[in-house]
Amino acid sequence: MSQLTYASIDQTVLNTLSRPKRYYWAIVAVLFLGVLVGAACWTYQIFVGIGAGGQNNPVAWGTYLINFVFWVGIAHSGTLISAILHLFRAGWRNPIARAAETMTVFAVCIAGLFPFIHLGRVWQVMYMIPYPNQRLLWPNFLSPLMFDVIAISTYLTVSSLFWYTGLLPDLAAIRDRSEGTRKKIFTFLSMGWTGAHEQWRHYTRGYLFFAALATPLVISVHSVVSWDFALGIVPGWHTTIFAPYFVAGAIHSGLAMVLTLMIPLRKIFKYENIITRDVLENVAKTIVFTGLIVGFAYATEFFIAWYSHNAVEIEQFRWRAFGDYRWGFYFMVLCNTLIPLLFLFKKVRTTVATLFIISLIVNFGMWWERFVIIVGGVAHGFSPHAWGLYAPSMIEYGIMLGSFCLFFFLFVLFAKHMPSVSMTEMKETLEHGGSHAG
Amino acid sequence: MQGKKYIMGLFKDEDQVVSTLAALKESAYQFQRVHSPIPSHKIMAALSLKKSKVGWFTLAGGILGLISGFALAVYCSVEWKLIVSGKPIISLIPFFIVGFEFTILFAVFGNIIGLLTQTRLPSFKGMTHYDPRCSGEHFGVLATCEAGQTDGLKDLFQKSGGEIKVFE
Repeated sequence: MSQLTYASIDQTVLNTLSRPKRYYWAIVAVLFLGVLVGAACWTYQIFVGIGAGGQNNPVAWGTYLINFVFWVGIAHSGTLISAILHLFRAGWRNPIARAAETMTVFAVCIAGLFPFIHLGRVWQVMYMIPYPNQRLLWPNFLSPLMFDVIAISTYLTVSSLFWYTGLLPDLAAIRDRSEGTRKKIFTFLSMGWTGAHEQWRHYTRGYLFFAALATPLVISVHSVVSWDFALGIVPGWHTTIFAPYFVAGAIHSGLAMVLTLMIPLRKIFKYENIITRDVLENVAKTIVFTGLIVGFAYATEFFIAWYSHNAVEIEQFRWRAFGDYRWGFYFMVLCNTLIPLLFLFKKVRTTVATLFIISLIVNFGMWWERFVIIVGGVAHGFSPHAWGLYAPSMIEYGIMLGSFCLFFFLFVLFAKHMPSVSMTEMKETLEHGGSHAG
Repeated sequence: MQGKKYIMGLFKDEDQVVSTLAALKESAYQFQRVHSPIPSHKIMAALSLKKSKVGWFTLAGGILGLISGFALAVYCSVEWKLIVSGKPIISLIPFFIVGFEFTILFAVFGNIIGLLTQTRLPSFKGMTHYDPRCSGEHFGVLATCEAGQTDGLKDLFQKSGGEIKVFE
C-alpha cells in the first residue's frame, strides 16, 4: 500500500470505468438471460399457482425461503464491513467496503423478492400494509412474519442510503474527471458535492451516526429472520440460540461472498495494490472466527436436544445426522466449520486460489445449512405419520438460477459504471490509516 | 475592476494547508473555505470547527420512530382485536421489535434530513469557485481580497508552496 498515492488511487479506479469491451457485454447478456429464465419461471408460477413449486405438506417452506435466508445472510457482511469495522477503526476494510456495501444492497433486493415469490398470489401482499381496507383487517404485529416485513424493508432502506452517502464524494471525483453526458449524469448524482470543509464537518458526523445505527440494525435483522422459525413450535426450529446463530451464519456467508466477488474483481481491475493480500487474509481470519461460532451453534443444538430429554427433539437431531437429508448436514459441517479451519495455515489464507475455492465452498455450505434447518424441521415434525420429504421442482431451480444471475448481473453492471473501490476512503487510509469518522 | 476577488491556493499536503490557514488568520484577507478530497482532521482542528448539529436531527428521528412504531403496532391491534396464543391485545415485548426497527429507520431519515439541511445539498452554488483538482489530490484554500490586494494574497499562497487559481 506504500506505493499508492492519491493520483494512483484515482487513476486505478477511474481506469475501471473505461469503455467496456465486447466480452463484458457478452457476460452481461448471459447473466441477463439467466434473469429472464427466473422471471419466466416466476411468471409461469403466478399463472399456474404455487403448486408449480415442490412445496407441499408437510414441507411448505422450500427453496423460496431457503434462498430468502441465504440472500439476507449474504447482505449482512456488507454492513459488518462498512459499519461495524468502521466503528472499530479497522483500516483494512476500506478497500473492500464499497463492493461489500453494494453486495448488501443487491442481496437485500433479491432476498426481498422471495417472500413475494413464495406468496404465490403475489398481489395479496397488500394485506401486510397497514391501511384502512374494505375488510377492516389490520396487520398482526404479534407475528414474526410482520417483524420481518418491517426489518427487511428498514434494512433495504438504510443500507441503500448508507451506500449512497458513502458514494457521494466519489461521485463528485468522477464528475470532475468526466466529460459530456457522463459529466452531466455524475453532476446530478453528486448533488453539488465539493468537499468543502463545512460539508465534511457534517458528513463525517452523519456517517458516524449511520454506522452506529446500522450496527444494531444488522444484528436485529437476522435475529428477526431467525424468529420466523424460532417462534414456531416446530422441532429443530424452536430454540433460543437461533438469533446469534443466524447472525454469525449470515456474516460467515457474507464474508465468503465478499471473497468470491473481490478476488476476480481484484484480478480483472488490477486492484492488487489496493486490495492487497493482507486485506484478503483479514477476511479469511474473520471467516475462521465466524465459522467456529456456527460450528459451536451446530454442536449446541445437538447437546440441548440430548440434554432436554425431549423425545421429539432427540429424534429430529438423530434424523438430521443420519436421516434422509444427512448429506446436507455433512455438507454444512464440513463446508462451514471444518474446511474454513484450513485458513489457520498462513499458506492457505495468503494464496488467492485457495481463498477463492474455500469461499465458494462456504457459500455452498451455507446454502445447505439453510436447507437443513428449514426443510429438516418441517419434514420430520411431531407426528411420524405426517413425516415427508421434499424436492424442489424445475420451476424452483429456474427461479434460484434467476436470483443468482440477477445478483451477478447487477454487480457486474455496477462494477463497470460506478467506483467499485472507495477512492476517498483509500486516500484516508494513506493519511490516517482509518476511515471517515467524526 | 471593482469588487472582491476570489483566489484559490492549491496544495498537495494537509500540513501546507494548516500553515496557510494560520497565515491567512493573521492577514487582512478573508478566508472562505477549504476544499479537500478527504475529511482532514488536521484542517478541521486548524479551523476550530464546532461539532455538527446533524446528531440532533438523528436523535429527533429516532424518538419519533420509537413512538411511531409502537403507535402503529398498538393501533393495528386495537383496530382488529385478534387474540393470538392468549397474549394481550397490546403486547409490549413483540411491539418493542416494531418500535426498535422504526427507531433505526426514522433516525436514519433524520440523519439524512440533517445532512441535507446542514450541508445545504443538493446545491450547485459552491461549484462557482471550485477547482476539480480538489476531488483528486489537491487541497484548495479559497480566500477573497479587494481588487488591489490580489498580488499579496497570491504571494501568501505561493510562500506556503501552493499553486494559484484566480476566479474571474
